[in-house]
Amino acid sequence: MSWLIPLIALIGAIYLLAVIEGWSLGGAFSLARPARAALAMIGQESTKTRKSDALFYQAGPVLLLVAGVLAVAVIPLAPDIILADMATGALFLNAALAYVLVALIMAGWGPNGAYAMIGGWRFLGQFLGYAMLIVMPITAVAMRAESLMTTQIVTSQAGLWNVFYQPLGFVLFMIAAQALIFLPPLDLPVAPGELAGGVEAEYSGPQLLVFRLARFVIILALAGAATTFYFGGWLGPVLPDWVWSGLKTMIIAAAMLSVGRFLPRLREERFLALCWKLGIPLSLINILVVGVLVLVVPV
Amino acid sequence: MVIELLLALGIGAGLFGVGLYGALSQTNLVMIMMGVELMLAAALVNLVAFWRYLHPEAMSGQMFVLIVMTVMAVEMAVGFGVAIARFRSRGSVEMEEARELKG
Amino acid sequence: MSAQLAFLAFFGAAALWFAVVVFRTHSMVRSALALLFSQTAVGAMFLVMQAEFLGVLQIMMMATEMSVMAIFMVMFMMDPGGLGAMEMTHQKKRSLWAGGLALIAALGVSWLGNWGPVATQLALPARQTELLGIELLGRSMLIFESAGLTILTAMIAATMVAITPLEDEPKKERHHGH
Repeated sequence: MSWLIPLIALIGAIYLLAVIEGWSLGGAFSLARPARAALAMIGQESTKTRKSDALFYQAGPVLLLVAGVLAVAVIPLAPDIILADMATGALFLNAALAYVLVALIMAGWGPNGAYAMIGGWRFLGQFLGYAMLIVMPITAVAMRAESLMTTQIVTSQAGLWNVFYQPLGFVLFMIAAQALIFLPPLDLPVAPGELAGGVEAEYSGPQLLVFRLARFVIILALAGAATTFYFGGWLGPVLPDWVWSGLKTMIIAAAMLSVGRFLPRLREERFLALCWKLGIPLSLINILVVGVLVLVVPV
Repeated sequence: MVIELLLALGIGAGLFGVGLYGALSQTNLVMIMMGVELMLAAALVNLVAFWRYLHPEAMSGQMFVLIVMTVMAVEMAVGFGVAIARFRSRGSVEMEEARELKG
Repeated sequence: MSAQLAFLAFFGAAALWFAVVVFRTHSMVRSALALLFSQTAVGAMFLVMQAEFLGVLQIMMMATEMSVMAIFMVMFMMDPGGLGAMEMTHQKKRSLWAGGLALIAALGVSWLGNWGPVATQLALPARQTELLGIELLGRSMLIFESAGLTILTAMIAATMVAITPLEDEPKKERHHGH
């Protein structure tokens, strides 16, 4: 039954996140709205486009969901509440999240629509920007923990959270995370108002529901990863450990959802130039600094 | 136990056969590269099987796998570089149209 | 141990099936993604064979590589959607023979070979990863570093080949803007 508790926690967190997003975007706090919207989507007709690649069209959202769930599986809620405590957890998280790209390309190519296809390929361009920025900060985190296991990464931060130990890596990781789950200001693949929904444009009904659900799962995976890698996971005084990791994850997820309201959307080639010219050198510097700190400062 | 090794080697052989067929039969540079990737994947399967079932104590077996993965990445980079140059100058990457390379 | 055999057979069959799909479908994007799923199945085989680090690495690397492959297919192909069902092969019969012969030869060698005793003892995944790291930065450091250098050289060379030479750029267009 060890998989049951994380699963219930995941479902609860997704619902809470949906409420928070409605609150942050629509301005109205309503506990029932996500449930009503989901029910409406289930009842909606699932439209089909002409000459679509039906297989990709169907499989895209499902693959997105699978990638998200696999990524969540390696994130610990508490020392013993984790779906899969893999020896290569941090790398596995990366591997699972790489399939977000595949899923978006499939979902973009499948419906045979111009906006969807542009959205899918745009995400490939965005991926080229953020890919290194997500791997290299995790390398620095693993260097300090001397392990790729997510539980061990958490325990390595008992003295000092990584967000203070390697703030540069944290900033880079969060930018990459924002790009990975295409939230504003880096929401070019879906870009409402400019690309008419992009990858999401041709989806409706239950498939759109799966797509939206998968998006929340991935946001949770990334917020959970940030908690695990930078905010000391379940570490914290007084409260039980799972409350701490849950609380931190929800705060980070809420921040990720609302930060786009204060920033303008970034154009693709500017993002790429920033990532390659500034981001990669900075993440190399981060690795160097952390390497020196690990050797010199015994925290 | 040895049956698993043989199964893995058989799958490696199958992947190699399919990859070789693809590399020889396709007319497009990118498709040919796909065939080559499949052949390299076959090599990977064999290497991991040899490591797992014959010498699990020798980490150089896993090391070899990493090198082959590097070769795959290098093949992609160089292949696409050539493909872009070819497409720029000739407008296609069809092998049938590249007869002037015969010299 | 029979579970290992079953999973190995399953993922192996998936790898082979997707490999065949690569050359049978007319849609280029499908072809690239079929190759991706074939490689992912190979990665899953690594996981079944208890090489955890390599399996995860294979699964991660191939997602990126094959997605890039897909966009190049769309860029370079006349009919990337495969709606026209174009014939894109040549010397099909000879290729089939070559592929079949290679398959039979490899199968023959693997079945006739005397592999000796099969190992049963295996380090745990965490220990394996550690040992691989020590191998990479110890005995095999030179090889590892040359691999890194090779890939850097290839990246620079490929970029050099791919970018347009400056003198070939149409001069008119460059002055239009000003």
